[in-house]
Amino acid sequence: MKKPLTYFLIALILGIVAYNSVYIKKLDDVKKEQTKATFDAKTYANDFFNSKLETVSSTAAADFLNNIKADVKGYSEENGNKLGISTDYYFIIDGNASVVEIEDEYILVTLDDDHQKMKIATDFIFGNAIREGTQMAHIGDYQNTMDYNNISVESNNIVRETILPPFIQKVKKSDSLYFKGAVRLNTKKPKFEDLRVIPLVLKIKK
Amino acid sequence: MTLPIKAFKAQHSIFLLLAVCTVFGCNPKKEDAPKKIAVVISTLNNPWFVVLGESAAERARALGYEATIFDSQNSTSKEAEHFENLIAAGYSAVLFNPTDSEGSVSNVKRAKKAGVPVFCMDREINSLDAATSQIISDSFSGCVELGEYFVRQLDKKGKYVELLGLVGDNNTWNRSKGFHSVVDHFPDLVMVSQQSADFDRSKAMEVLESIMQSNPDIDAVFCGNDAMAMGAYQALVASGKEKEVMVFGFDGADDVMNAIHDKKIKATVMQSPKAMAKTAAELADQYIKGKRDFMAKTPLAVDVVTQENINEFGAYGSEK
Repeated sequence: MKKPLTYFLIALILGIVAYNSVYIKKLDDVKKEQTKATFDAKTYANDFFNSKLETVSSTAAADFLNNIKADVKGYSEENGNKLGISTDYYFIIDGNASVVEIEDEYILVTLDDDHQKMKIATDFIFGNAIREGTQMAHIGDYQNTMDYNNISVESNNIVRETILPPFIQKVKKSDSLYFKGAVRLNTKKPKFEDLRVIPLVLKIKK
Repeated sequence: MTLPIKAFKAQHSIFLLLAVCTVFGCNPKKEDAPKKIAVVISTLNNPWFVVLGESAAERARALGYEATIFDSQNSTSKEAEHFENLIAAGYSAVLFNPTDSEGSVSNVKRAKKAGVPVFCMDREINSLDAATSQIISDSFSGCVELGEYFVRQLDKKGKYVELLGLVGDNNTWNRSKGFHSVVDHFPDLVMVSQQSADFDRSKAMEVLESIMQSNPDIDAVFCGNDAMAMGAYQALVASGKEKEVMVFGFDGADDVMNAIHDKKIKATVMQSPKAMAKTAAELADQYIKGKRDFMAKTPLAVDVVTQENINEFGAYGSEK
């Protein structure tokens, strides 16, 4: 009489342990949860360009050039954005200008304010200038830094695919234009003549 | 009759003193002994990580701590053993180079639960609240710049191979993604093979030799670290193609810096293990002294080192 009871109890305990050890979920539900947890950098970048870009403040390009030429380190530390421990600073600048030359990778413009020259990039749109210049995201908010880096990739894609093609089709020498864009400046080895503006806004004026 | 009583009193006093010493301690106070900092490194089989570990320990010692280096041998279970031991041994902080961005999270959480702060160096873990702070190289930006240099060196066309590092390490993908965020926009640059060689020199040599059997006409190899770049270069020497195929690495290790100088390797990305280690040790010191407000992640900028600018740099992030 005792043995069957012992076997029954053992079977009951094993059954309870097994039941509580295995959880069965629908594969579709698991996939849905994973997708939910995946950060969508493309949507994030699109949302920023569509709804927040206009509110990003900028410095007049001529003032920016004059200030960095006067005191690159001091001005950058006070007014630039940088990522972690670095000597690269990022800024958002804007201005009205005239097209002087159209090159393979950039257009050269003279600023209406004081005729200083600047390069606006039309190729090699890479790196973090947009993300860091606009401060559209902060590294400490991202568990995986790749998500954070993907924001740069997608922002650059928007410039390359949406902002530049209609502009490149129309632009010609002597055109007047308005631009707003992001600039990276290295304060350790500053090369003012090599500064390239990654455009966020480009408008040819009639 | 009085002597025995005096002797008893003296004996009694000695016992009483011993009892007091036992309870309150006669040894020098524990606070006088230097506090201990553990330096846990993913592998000491790679000179770059040796520099990282030794620099961290050196800075910790300079700040007045006793520092011990632990080698995880690229194994999360070995790493877990180290964490168990160092928590039990009463270390005050851990300067940590994780073996796996996902697999190392539980070790860091265990230390946090035991009240031991962890400062990650070079490699990040996939958690924002486990480590006190993570000091990492800005690998993505470095590889974006390296990618631009790569494109220009190959004149925007050619066939290339990519050797990836450990697939479980976020640095592997940050580097690869940075590189491809540039190179993939040039359709005449074709990647004929992408394989992992685990950041290992001998494995890189074997993998490239195998790839070149089916793709003998490659123009370049992009490697996720310098050890693999040296292995790739060895494979090219063995096949007599070292002058035709460009090799690109990442780290700024001593042998690759020499190879760039000798025009054997085209370029690398210089990340500074010394700067990372120093920053991590100093943050740990600040924590021990009471600071609690730390940035979750602190990226460190990197530089692209080429045959044109090699004279501006020394190995492992030192500048000339």
